[in-house]
Amino acid sequence: MATETDTQQIGTNKEDEPELDRGPFEAWAARSIKNPKRAYRAMFYTAMIFFLVTTLFPFYWLLMVALTPDGSLQNIVLAPATFDPALLLAGDLTMGTNPGAFVEIFERLPFHRYMFNSFVIATVTTVIVLVVSSLAGYVFGRLRFKGKSPLMLLVLLVSFFPPAAFFLPLNQLFNRNFAVLQPVMSDGSLYNTPYAMIIPFSALFLPLSIFILTTFYAQIPDGLEDAARIEGTTRLGALFRVIIPLSAPGVATAGVLTFIAVYNEYFFSSLMTDPGAENWAPIVEGILGYQGQYQELYNNLMAAASIVGVLPVAILVVVAQEKIVSGLTAGALKE
Amino acid sequence: MADVKLENIVKQYEDVTAVDDMNLDIKHGEFVTFVGPSGCGKSTTMETIAGLTKPTSGTVMIGERDVTDLPPKDRGISMVFQNIALFPHMDVYDNISFGLRLRKYDKSEIDRRVEKAAEVVQLNGMMERMPDEMSGGQRQRVAIARAIVRNPDVFLMDEPLANLDAKLRVHMRTELQRLHKELDTTIIYVTHDQAEAMTMSDRIAVINAGQLQQIDPPLVCYNEPANLFVAGFIGSPSMNFVEGEVAGSGFTSDDVKVSFNPSDYNLSRGKDVTLGVRPEDVYLANNSREAADPTVPLTATTDVLEPMGNEIFAYLTFDEDATSSMTDAQLPGQLLISVDPDTEIEEDQEIEVVLDRSKIHLFDTAGGKALTHEITDTGATSTAGADAEVGTDD
Repeated sequence: MATETDTQQIGTNKEDEPELDRGPFEAWAARSIKNPKRAYRAMFYTAMIFFLVTTLFPFYWLLMVALTPDGSLQNIVLAPATFDPALLLAGDLTMGTNPGAFVEIFERLPFHRYMFNSFVIATVTTVIVLVVSSLAGYVFGRLRFKGKSPLMLLVLLVSFFPPAAFFLPLNQLFNRNFAVLQPVMSDGSLYNTPYAMIIPFSALFLPLSIFILTTFYAQIPDGLEDAARIEGTTRLGALFRVIIPLSAPGVATAGVLTFIAVYNEYFFSSLMTDPGAENWAPIVEGILGYQGQYQELYNNLMAAASIVGVLPVAILVVVAQEKIVSGLTAGALKE
Repeated sequence: MADVKLENIVKQYEDVTAVDDMNLDIKHGEFVTFVGPSGCGKSTTMETIAGLTKPTSGTVMIGERDVTDLPPKDRGISMVFQNIALFPHMDVYDNISFGLRLRKYDKSEIDRRVEKAAEVVQLNGMMERMPDEMSGGQRQRVAIARAIVRNPDVFLMDEPLANLDAKLRVHMRTELQRLHKELDTTIIYVTHDQAEAMTMSDRIAVINAGQLQQIDPPLVCYNEPANLFVAGFIGSPSMNFVEGEVAGSGFTSDDVKVSFNPSDYNLSRGKDVTLGVRPEDVYLANNSREAADPTVPLTATTDVLEPMGNEIFAYLTFDEDATSSMTDAQLPGQLLISVDPDTEIEEDQEIEVVLDRSKIHLFDTAGGKALTHEITDTGATSTAGADAEVGTDD
């Protein structure tokens, strides 16, 4: 504030010529030229508000759709048409909205089971991906051997394929009955089991994690691994006790990216399972299950289910946020 | 008892031989220092002992055990690294106790040992600090505590003081010597700092191009270098070398002649030899009494003077065309001498100097091997006055 008044004083002292007759916008522009920080601050807030609106508005709209009673979706303006704060005084806590949708989604379908399915598939896939890519990252990041670069390129090549290209052969494979699997799966096929999703997802998301962890593990000084090995660990022990803890941001980034991608996955999951929670169908299948034959294509239950479904991921990201941010930037900025 | 024995160790990286047929026998309780220029193989040799690098061929023995194929953790060693290598995600206590915890010691035993190790390196009361909250010297002490807490048979130290400032380095040097006395274990120490090697070691192993050049007590390496490399490497500033050949009357070169009887040293006439003399063994002619056995004066011109405070290094040229840009003592026709700081000496001044014959070394120019470390006789065949002279006609 002090600097602002100072510059204004300097400005007035200097200008002995008569005041120009300026409109409010011209005056604002003149002040900004004298004090560019004002302009930067204005630009910052403009950009900030733009991004906030574009990212948060869909969530707001979801919430409004979910709170609108069935059949009156077309009446939403910025809030459901029946929304009236005055009803609060009359003792109606819902103020004319319909929060019952959040309960109804669990009554109509076992939505918790769909969430559980997606959660389990995402968690198991993330664990598999992190363990395998940690070992691969160690090899690519810390060992020297012939043919390392071509091999790394080959691994990355997998992630360049559109996943759909793998679908038909995989679907045929998982629909076949294998005698070996008979004792585990009743019919010996992987179709309609979580394995039909965990296996291809692990393979598809491995390259990205390997790439992230390779860059992280490569930056841990050799001396630390040597010290751990001298102190009494094996190479593997040094990886788990020293290298991975020190690469926590990288591991968190790879883990969260994998988890979110698998948790939200629909294409593969829907084709590898029949609809129905008991068939390990994922969240999106559940959400689509609310489409009734004679209803709007998109209804309040789907919106409510979407909000509930996004909660675990939102919580995960908030918890891991700090690590992820440092992880995404640390890879780029090599010390 | 933990002797360390290296037998015919060879380490090859693709087409580079880092260590070439290394044989070493280090006794229990000895403090041995590996010195050599960068990339000479001293660190690779140490990594071979530690088990961090597997030798291409050869055997490593610690105590009576052949440890060549054992992983580092089973060798009974500990190591202090140049970059200190404390685990940044652990506090001091966890860093020191890391090895003990891996070996599943009792909590009370771990506490007792950590406390004792911390006492030795004077770190008490810092157990909860994280490495990034400590100074360089403190971190180094934590690294040493981590190394001693397991009572290893052998300590390996890879340039542990290289990253410390000069004052702290001198302090830690004495600390390490005290530690060596207290612990009575074998210490193998890698450094490129001569002062560290000279002051701390029982024996110095000079390594060059992957080969062991000499392993002897510091003063033996200094006074009786086994070859040209050791002579040039040990001592700062390094020894003056003059290439010449054996004549009937002794050593002769363009600039320097020293008379002796070649047959006394089994030298044949015409053999190419290199004369070596340390800067402090060259005296101004008017101080020739100080030399135990002075040669006849040589005339030279002072080129560059480097006053160090306690002494002055003077670069002399025999060749009048030599310019002052040639400041390297190793250049032909140059001689580096060390004189008393009170001496009145100026640049471009013609002076006379004498060499101390009892400190003159002769080396075989071709093979580099030392032939003698002193010249005792005056040379029966020499004529007086031709004992040494400055060659003006090149």
